Order: sequence, then C-alpha cells, then structure tokens
Amino acid sequence: MKRQYIYLLILAALTIPLFLPLGLKHQVTDEVEKFYQTIEDLPPGSTVMVSFDFEASTIAETKPLAQAVLRHLFSRRISVVSLSMLAEGTGLGHSFLKEVADEFGRKYGADYVFLGFRPQYQATILGLGEDFAKVFPQDYLRNNLSDLSLTQKVRNYEGISLIISVADGDLPQYWVDYAQTRFQKPVAAAVTAVMATSYYPYLSSGQFSGLVGGLKGAAEYETLLGKAGLGSKGMEAQSLGHLMIIALIIIGNLAHLRTRKKI
Amino acid sequence: MLLKLPLIIVAVFGLFMLVQFFVEAPFLDHTYQEILDWVQIIYLFTLWVGAINLIKLHLKKSTHKKEAPYSVVTLSGIVIMLFFGLIQGKEVGSVFDWIFKNVQVSLQASMFSLLAFFVASAAYRGFRARSTEALVLLSVAAIVMLGRVPIGDLISGLIPDFANWILNFPSMAARRGILIGIGLGTVATALRVLLGIERTYLGR
Repeated sequence: MKRQYIYLLILAALTIPLFLPLGLKHQVTDEVEKFYQTIEDLPPGSTVMVSFDFEASTIAETKPLAQAVLRHLFSRRISVVSLSMLAEGTGLGHSFLKEVADEFGRKYGADYVFLGFRPQYQATILGLGEDFAKVFPQDYLRNNLSDLSLTQKVRNYEGISLIISVADGDLPQYWVDYAQTRFQKPVAAAVTAVMATSYYPYLSSGQFSGLVGGLKGAAEYETLLGKAGLGSKGMEAQSLGHLMIIALIIIGNLAHLRTRKKI
Repeated sequence: MLLKLPLIIVAVFGLFMLVQFFVEAPFLDHTYQEILDWVQIIYLFTLWVGAINLIKLHLKKSTHKKEAPYSVVTLSGIVIMLFFGLIQGKEVGSVFDWIFKNVQVSLQASMFSLLAFFVASAAYRGFRARSTEALVLLSVAAIVMLGRVPIGDLISGLIPDFANWILNFPSMAARRGILIGIGLGTVATALRVLLGIERTYLGR
C-alpha cells in the first residue's frame, strides 16, 4: 500500500469522529478513580499545588488533562497555587488556569495564584518547601507574593495538601524525589499516555496518590466529573486511530505471508 | 590547580548536600538555603551562555547563502519575542502570548501530531510476525492498543482487563527492574563524581 493512502486513512480515522461523535462510553480505571477520590477527600478551603510540567508539543493531551483536574479543584472550592517547571508550560499553564478559574468565577490572588517559571527544578522544588517568596518574590503577573491573600496564608508546602504535576516527561518523579521524600507531601500525576506506563510502579508503591494517563485518563476524569470535554472528544478520534493502525498491521502481515508463500 | 579546584568544589558541596539531608541543624539549614539560591543564580547564567551562543552561531550562519533564511528566522524570533515581552509583558492577551500560542504552540503541536502518520506507516511496513517472539509482541501490542481505547471494551470486556493486567504485572515488573538499575547507576555515578573519579563534566 502506498504511503499516501496510509496517511489518508489515518487522517479520516482521526478527523471523522471529531465531526460525527460516536458516543463511546468510558470505563473508569482504578488509578483515575484514586486520583479523583484523593481530591474529593480534601476538605473545602484546602490548597493544592498544580505544576504545569509540559511543553507546547503535547498540548493535545495535556490541555484536556489540566482542564479536567482544574475543573475538579475549582468546583470543590479548593485553592490553587500553580507554577511551571518548563518555560513553555508557563504561558500555557497560565491561560488554562485563567480559563477554568473564570468559568467558576474564582478570583486571582484569593482563590488561585500563578507563580510562573523558575529554571533548575531540583533547587526550585526544594526551595519552595522552605519559602515560596524566596524562590518567587513576585508571581507571573509581577505582584509581590506578600500582597496576595492566598500566598500570605500559604507560604510553603506546609499549607499545601496535595501536589499535582501535569506532565509530559519525568518531572513527576522529581516531585516525588524532592517534595515527597523531604517534605512528606502527597504527589499525584496527570501525564501523557506515552509516559503513563513509566509511572505505574510509583502508583503501586503508594508514592503517587493517583495517576491520570493521556487522553483516555482525561476522558475518564470527565466521566467522573459528569461533563464531557476535550478528552472525551479526542478519545473517540484516538479509538478509531488505534483500530486503523491495528487493521494496517494485519493487512501488512497478510501481504507478508502471501509473498512468503509465493517464494 | 585548575583541575583540582572544580573537583574540590564538587566534593565539598556534594557532601554537604548529602549530610544536610540526614542531619537537622539550624546552621546547616541556613547554608542549604544559600546553596539553593546559588544553584538558581548559576543556572540563570548558563541560560545566558546558551542564548549568547545561539545568537553567535546564527549570526555566523546568516552569512552562508544556503542556511541564511533559517538563521534569519531564528534571530528574528528571538528579537521579536524579546521586544514584545519586555515592552508589553507576557500576560494572557499580550502580543507575546498571542505569538506564542498561534505560532510556537501550533508549530510544535503540528510537528508532534505528524508522529501519528509516521507511526501508522512504520507499523504497516515494519511490524511483521517473522518469529514466535515477534508474534507475541505483536499480539500484546494490539491488545494493549485496543484495551486503552473505549472501542476495546465494546468488542469485549476482557480486552481492557487483559491490557490492564499486562500494564500492572509484566510491564511493571520490567519497569521496576529498569528503575532499580537506574537508581543503582545514579548512586554509583554520584559517588564517582564526589570522589573525583568521574570527570566528564570537566570535558575530560
């Protein structure tokens, strides 16, 4: 089969469900349920730290993940102190945070704060455990942390009930290594599908309080929230994409068998 | 002395960070705080070194006929983003934010999306059941791919269960082995660096 036909088939499989939804149901897995329950168990008024540890290339997966998690937090009146460990995640993280906070009518400075980006994540994670204001004297919008009511109340990890890393790489591991080991803070991760398998050992060892993996995880989370979003929509496209790839593998193998028999 | 000084600095600060992790003392805490500040300051300088090096390299390349357009685009990108970032800030709605979301994010997401097409083409051409091991690998991959999408559950409820079993047992066992290996390797390398045996970071 010519390469161009394969590309056309994949294009059709990925785009058709975006325009003609299939209405597929998502079975919620234990790891996503655990993540959801961890947030459900936090008392209203708690503060959670959300770190946007991803780059622009994985936005198709990280945006639905971040949105689902932030919707859950804001719907439960949980305050969010947020930051990014990667430069590209800064602009994206800030806009996702603002978008969801506006949806729930949350106020900047009182209900949520975006600290911004600092390079060298080991030193940043360790430094935040001592004093937020030492690592970030000003937030992303150039406000002094001492002027914002949320960061007046929460000054280091002591005021943080849970750390969530929305990531496309190995940053959640650093949160475990430095924030959990040194400051005993629970860590949960919402990661791209390709990274999820790497983190199953952390989940089973109890180092992660929950794991949401890829579009599938985002779609499951949206099912738990009772509101379909980008995850559910994208998952239908991914379903057909996977089916198409499996069909192509079978066709390729059948063709291979036929040529072998002829020889 | 030029070689010994960095080795001494690494050994002293490395050992200090190791000791302060296990020992609680106010004077150690204070020094630890200072070291964290210094790490960030030094790292910021390395960013400057990287940026200056990139600019120098592309200024040089911009004189070559063949590579000039790419270098001009890179240099223009740096200047434009720096200009709008410094003049107007980077908040949502600023020009900096607009260019970032509509140029950089779109380009990077598009590049990454192309993977779906290449993976499909490569799977069609290369994923052949030439041996029993390849057949097992192929079958497991197909089950996990189906089990990770809702369509798998529609075909049979056993597919997602089997996919989860693969991820939670054989795959996790292999992953744990790799993680333990990485952990031991990290400890060994850290000791080699602290003792001055590993000197590749000095360019040797």
